[in-house]
Amino acid sequence: MHAEQGQKIKKILVANRGEIAVRVIRACRDLGIGSVAVYSDADRAALHVRYADEAIHIGPPPPRESYLLAEKIIAAAKKTGADAIHPGYGFLSERSFFAQMCADEGIIFIGPPPKAIDLMGDKQTARETVKKNGVKVVPGTEPGESDENLLRIAPSFGFPVLIKATAGGGGKGMRAVYREEDLAEALASARREAESAFGNGDVYIEKLLVGARHIEFQILADQHGNTIHLGERECSIQRRHQKLVEESPSVVMDVDLREKMGKMAVAAAESCGYVNAGTIECLVDKDLNYYFLEMNTRLQVEHPVTELVTGVDLVKEQIRIARGRRMGPTESFLHPKGHAIECRINAEDPYNGFIPSTGKISTLLVPTGPGVRVDSGVYSGYEITPYYDSMIAKLICWGEDRGEALLRMRRALEEYTIMGVKHNIPFHQNLMSSFSFMAGKFDTKWVEDHFSMTTYEEDPSEQELETAAIAATLFAHRQRQLASQVVTKGERDTSNWKWVGRWERMHR
Amino acid sequence: MKYVTTINKKKFEIEIDKEGKVLVNGQPRDVDFLPLGRSFYSILMNNLSHEVVVEERDEAIEVLLHGRLYNGQVLDERALLMAQRTGGLPGEGGDASIKSPMPGLIVSVRVEVGETVKAGQTVVILESMKMQNELKSPRDGVVQKVNVGPGQSVEQNKVLVTIGEPAEGGESQG
Repeated sequence: MHAEQGQKIKKILVANRGEIAVRVIRACRDLGIGSVAVYSDADRAALHVRYADEAIHIGPPPPRESYLLAEKIIAAAKKTGADAIHPGYGFLSERSFFAQMCADEGIIFIGPPPKAIDLMGDKQTARETVKKNGVKVVPGTEPGESDENLLRIAPSFGFPVLIKATAGGGGKGMRAVYREEDLAEALASARREAESAFGNGDVYIEKLLVGARHIEFQILADQHGNTIHLGERECSIQRRHQKLVEESPSVVMDVDLREKMGKMAVAAAESCGYVNAGTIECLVDKDLNYYFLEMNTRLQVEHPVTELVTGVDLVKEQIRIARGRRMGPTESFLHPKGHAIECRINAEDPYNGFIPSTGKISTLLVPTGPGVRVDSGVYSGYEITPYYDSMIAKLICWGEDRGEALLRMRRALEEYTIMGVKHNIPFHQNLMSSFSFMAGKFDTKWVEDHFSMTTYEEDPSEQELETAAIAATLFAHRQRQLASQVVTKGERDTSNWKWVGRWERMHR
Repeated sequence: MKYVTTINKKKFEIEIDKEGKVLVNGQPRDVDFLPLGRSFYSILMNNLSHEVVVEERDEAIEVLLHGRLYNGQVLDERALLMAQRTGGLPGEGGDASIKSPMPGLIVSVRVEVGETVKAGQTVVILESMKMQNELKSPRDGVVQKVNVGPGQSVEQNKVLVTIGEPAEGGESQG
């Protein structure tokens, strides 16, 4: 396994769906490696199934009966002769038992060793592990405490505090509590949500830093003991702990801070014997004090912003590392090239409490042009089902500086046409026009506390309304004309070809 | 043919004559309308080039123009006459129903029949797409009907709760 030559990977099964499955399959294509998709009943027509070389059906739509069924995925790998599995993000990506199952079956898991997932997957163990390497963490409680103990300990950190699910991720089972009297009820609802999302209602409490930014470092580590970072990603634009926009570099970062935080991130990754791509999430307060928050032992949704400012294809590096090779880049990245911003395109209605929207995409026009990248899992005619995450695509724009990236993002958002379902492109358009965002003045609470869809949205001009009215009227007029033609055609009662034949015979 | 077109609640009288010329509120407009696909159109108006997407959905027309979505309705003379006779265009008033915006699982119902609710108050929590979604009352009023309970799976567009007129200042009902 440690031989320099490494292991061969000829075919990769992607244990995921949507845009990330397509992203990984693209890397396979680039490397000349075969690809296998897996799909549920709801995803027969999904893009990753269409795009892969082979596709295996693994069960009904609910994830518990398909994408989370490790046995079925291993069986699919064996059936197709895949020698490696890429887990993407979410689903089985951070389940150590799955990484272990792959190892036991002689399949390469494109990710960290099971032990590193265990150490970092449990947030409390993670805190203890990184502390040994001198990494600073946010004050908080142990997991597994009773409500009684939590109610007693939490006030000592000072309010506000944050309740977090031990098995958590993606903001599920997470509650911010600002007053002691609200703690009991918040604990109950957080436990309930964690139980339904992860089958584990255990929670712990952490001090909530006010005015903090969420900044994370991309890590790459190979099997030869090399660990580097690829700079930071600013992920403070969030709603209900769900990231909406990410960028690299962060506006608060300078080379000095990047070097210090980067060193801490590398130390945190080394503390658990990390291998492959991972992310060290940090909180950075107003005075630029930084704390380790957690490690994501997988590829992140927002990895493309790092790819655009470093020029590194992270999925290719993941595969290369899994093969046992030395990774391509040999030094940490202290000087990102240009600036990249990512907007997550979600099927959610920003005018109506960001409620998810389902249905068929009737029209889709994807932006292109200089500095524009779209990672998408959908197409025109695709049906968005309620079974999975509402994120349908990511729009990433690069510019020589933040200003250029932002202007390109505005242009691309205007080009991006999605009809048939509600989506959050209007949210991003408003965000890109907001002075606070332009000035880089925001923290993780800014969207929830200060952002409004109406602040920057101007009413349409008289001229725009009239143009829309003319378009609607001409459309309706044309529909009417087409409809009347259909009626006249029907009167003929025979196909046009037969009719022409008769006409020709008559005139012979 | 004469039409009354409403876009974002603003009314326009638009006439399209036999040659396809367009008049807005009696004034001629120089419009070149070119269909490009099922719902794509290119409009040239006084040399200004607009790309628009127009689609019909739930008996309304959606227009996407320069990244902005407009909602509208196009009525011809006859439809307008009919609408006027049956007592005005479809409007507001009456009971408001809270429908499930997508299939999902009812986590909890926060109101009971007879309870007074405020606009924006959470009425039902629906779990769907891995998220717990709070469905809110669109208006002030009194809960008339609750059609679901916790643990129940619901289809899209199912009426979950109906909200009626607010109660008259504290009078008891017989």
